Amino acid sequence: MTRTGMALALTVAWIVAASSMDRAHAQIATPPACQNVMAPRTTVFFVNGVTTTLDDARLNAGKLELEFLNRLPGMSAAVQANCHVFALNYNPTGGEVNDFFEAAQQQLDITPTRFWLELEGLNLFTRELIRDALEAPLTDLNRIDASTIERHAVAYREQIASPSCRRVLIVPHSQGNLYTNAAYDLLFSQAPSPPAGAIKIVGVATPAQTVAGNGLYRTSTTDVLINAIRLIRPGTLPPNTNWGITPLLLSPSYSGGHSFIGYLSADPSRTDILSDIESSLTALAAVNPC
Amino acid sequence: MIGLVVGMIWLAVELTSCTGDSSDSPPPAAPETVAGIDANGDGIRDDIEVYIDATYPVSTQGETNRALRQFARAAQSTMIDASEPAPSVAHAAERFRALECLMARRPGDFHLPFVELRARLLNTAARSLAYLQADNHVRAGNVPLLPADHWSGACL
Repeated sequence: MTRTGMALALTVAWIVAASSMDRAHAQIATPPACQNVMAPRTTVFFVNGVTTTLDDARLNAGKLELEFLNRLPGMSAAVQANCHVFALNYNPTGGEVNDFFEAAQQQLDITPTRFWLELEGLNLFTRELIRDALEAPLTDLNRIDASTIERHAVAYREQIASPSCRRVLIVPHSQGNLYTNAAYDLLFSQAPSPPAGAIKIVGVATPAQTVAGNGLYRTSTTDVLINAIRLIRPGTLPPNTNWGITPLLLSPSYSGGHSFIGYLSADPSRTDILSDIESSLTALAAVNPC
Repeated sequence: MIGLVVGMIWLAVELTSCTGDSSDSPPPAAPETVAGIDANGDGIRDDIEVYIDATYPVSTQGETNRALRQFARAAQSTMIDASEPAPSVAHAAERFRALECLMARRPGDFHLPFVELRARLLNTAARSLAYLQADNHVRAGNVPLLPADHWSGACL
């Protein structure tokens, strides 16, 4: 059996097992701090990456919220005292996904159905497709849309300033890291500057060479896309986590090792990211935003 | 024995020669439109309804079935209205509510059912490009999110 055949068989088996019956599901509980209108608020922004449509961005933000809520009862008292509000700062990538789609059709002659199944899979992260469709958006800072950076910076400023007076944590994925760094720099270059420490970043799968504000990041050793970018730009931040031994890396939908949902489904990457989030939120809790 | 071999060869030839000009051959398929065929007019393409009902039977997975139908209906509207900015923003909100419903129903494994369904919804280049065109109308990212404890309320 070929590698692709085996991966397809594993995926089908997984779906069949996972979809055999609706599970009894409990209503997702409101965190105690969010039941208290006087509790301090922190806004957690997700910023999506280059292969992410609007629907993918919504699901990525939802996965982040679910994993955070699962972990919250074990987090520090300072973190639990805050109500965390999840938001999406969308990074429009329709044109780039379009380019990726058309390049994949031309170079690999794949069906549209297979493209959408394997959007973040190893089969689409070929050297030629990365070069033709993804390299520039992930490395060329001139490709970053200035109006999007401005919009993101305004959103962060509104959260921090009165009357919101919220702390801000940003969790960008992939190209979203470039936008987040740029928005952070813009935010602190304009008066009035927000209080130092009122905004933190925990990057995931970053193609950048730094994290603004001395923030934290996690990139997997098995992230094929970021590994390819690092070959082109050796200054790209080195890998510092991985997905362990997981069937995700054999699945057509996740085998590229770059999927945000994959990062938050596999360990140790999931635990590493949530630990970084906890430490960043603990530090944020000590800051008065306004 | 010889007769058996000849029979098997004849059968193999017959089974592999279905591309001949038999009068029973179906007519060439018409090019698929973005909207496709929705015979019962419920806003979901017929082939998608068949897929959802076969993969997530109402008898055992009714909640997943309904959540995916909610998304399929919103995605269908998205593709049909892809050239119109205002409806595209409204349909993006409908898709977000459907996805929140799906996450409420399957918090542990919502992603693959979504990926599988979307791949079938966008099974032609025209449908894929319409879906991406609609996204471009939502550049401001001004579609609000419901918090997780409200996701169940997004289910229609």
